[in-house]
Amino acid sequence: MNRIEEHPILGEPQKGREVTFTFDGKEMKGCEGEPIAMALKANGVMIHRYTKKEHKPRGIFCAIGRCTDCVMVVNGKLNVRTCITPLEEGMVVQTQDGVTAKGA
Amino acid sequence: MKRYEVIIVGAGPSGLSAAIEAAKRGIKTIVFDENEKPGGQLFKQIHKFFGSKKHHAKIRGFKIGEELLKEADEAGVEVVLNATVIGLYADKEVVVRRGDEVSHYKGDTVIVATGAAENMVTFPGWTLPGVIGAGAAQTMMNLHGIKPGKKILMLGSGNVGLVVSFQLLQAGCEVAALVDAAPKIGGYGVHASKVARTGVPFYLSHTITKAHGEDHVTGVTISKVDEHFSPIEGTEKYFDVDTICMAVGLSPMSQLLKMSGCQMEDNPKKGGQVPITDEYGETSVPGLFAAGDVSGIEEASSAMIEGRMAGVCVAEYLGYCTEEEKEQILAELKEDLESLRQGMFAPANRGKEITETEEGIAVSKNLLQHGFLTEKEVEKYPGVVHKVGVHPVMECTQNIPCNPCQDACPRGCITIGENITYLPIVADGSKCSGCGMCVASCSGQAIFLVDEDCGDGSATVTVPYEFFPIPEEGSKGFGLSRNGEKLCEATVVSVKSVAAYDHTNLLTMRVPKEYAMAARFFKAG
Repeated sequence: MNRIEEHPILGEPQKGREVTFTFDGKEMKGCEGEPIAMALKANGVMIHRYTKKEHKPRGIFCAIGRCTDCVMVVNGKLNVRTCITPLEEGMVVQTQDGVTAKGA
Repeated sequence: MKRYEVIIVGAGPSGLSAAIEAAKRGIKTIVFDENEKPGGQLFKQIHKFFGSKKHHAKIRGFKIGEELLKEADEAGVEVVLNATVIGLYADKEVVVRRGDEVSHYKGDTVIVATGAAENMVTFPGWTLPGVIGAGAAQTMMNLHGIKPGKKILMLGSGNVGLVVSFQLLQAGCEVAALVDAAPKIGGYGVHASKVARTGVPFYLSHTITKAHGEDHVTGVTISKVDEHFSPIEGTEKYFDVDTICMAVGLSPMSQLLKMSGCQMEDNPKKGGQVPITDEYGETSVPGLFAAGDVSGIEEASSAMIEGRMAGVCVAEYLGYCTEEEKEQILAELKEDLESLRQGMFAPANRGKEITETEEGIAVSKNLLQHGFLTEKEVEKYPGVVHKVGVHPVMECTQNIPCNPCQDACPRGCITIGENITYLPIVADGSKCSGCGMCVASCSGQAIFLVDEDCGDGSATVTVPYEFFPIPEEGSKGFGLSRNGEKLCEATVVSVKSVAAYDHTNLLTMRVPKEYAMAARFFKAG
């Protein structure tokens, strides 16, 4: 739905094979090697984390690994910049709440 | 500690260009880049570049990137990716982090080509998911094939805001409005016009006063601003959008240079904190160079030339070329760079109000405020002529260093003149064959082929068309005006696409002849 099927200049996007991962326990599909944030965006996920002090939502902002707004808990590791971390089969991606995984 | 003759920080257009010049002279060169792939931001640029042949004009940015990578590969440049330079100390000691590992390197010379970072403006709700940088939008749609949103409001009318708005339309997104607090459009008029003719409204002297939504953006309110850029109460306008994109300028990423101890200055014309350098990029520390946006915000074409300059200077510094050789190459590069720094948008003209073209024609206020020329205004420019039969109409109205149209015409119909910034003119006595090469060659999409009177009460207008779906021949729709308003019924006569056009399709539509000089875009009915 959020994916461009064919682009007037770039043609069909060159993507990796389809892989399965989980987001907050829910199974989702994405393309291997694309940034985790792109796979989440394609699945309609907007919120990547909540701030520690005021519990405000944050999502993709710069998409090039500078701003750290998109950090999440990936395979149990905190503060992973999802916009520059390639998606792998079976990854466990969780919304980050302050400095823990959501619901942890 | 490993030693290299030259260490280059950043594998974008300028860093790679510098590395090519150094490596091809046999210098032991290494380039560190924090990203997964080389090329910097070039691979996100899908529009055709401006300039002359030497500057890769009419070639799309990502193709220039591909050529640069090939050249770097052939020259034997070593690029280390996922490697963030976190320190630059006295005596050119470079500290690099890769994963969890930190290593130290020593350079006989160092070229810093770290580029720039996007600026942001704040407003209530600016931290909501759905508020993104224009660069983020480009990364999503042009690198990863993901739509940044369904309906987007763009803040910023510089070239980045204009180009990214057009790219959003190409990706199949809707652009609700283009907003800028400045009273006039900052980028090229031709970039604005190609967005305006699709129907995107421009709101100059406006700014965002609130992004709405609890968990993500659900709408945005803009307000008119007074001469002090303060919002005026009662002028609010609401747009139902899911994404807000910010293109409000760039700042040099000069932190490493500052850390190295070289002399810095705060120069608003260059975009902020920059090193003080000589004209070829050498800082106050001998053997330490800066090239590209980090030494002053410009664009990729000039960054590549600056990179080559630094690479040649390093070669001479290390004894790999003679001073005469260096001077000769630098003189050529300087000429190329100077030609890019001409015209209304030259760095030297930043902040100046320009009221007329080099030809003495008044600059269109409507273009600067709304992104399009009125039918009356367009007649004043030398590229707009009336002839019997099909002929080019060049709605190029600002002095920009760009000339591919001149070389594109096989019959010599188009001339620019001695200065690359002059407005194109249709040569006397020239005979247009209607091949459309000029239309496809114009990076600003400002050339149209018009047959004003086909003899049956109709006219044909050929427009550049870079969108999907491509309308079918014979299909009916509407001819849109320069500001995207429905003018008249139109029928698609043909859609031509050949390799030489490089994905710029030429859509020819038939319209009633009174709209020959007004219809500039086609919308399917």
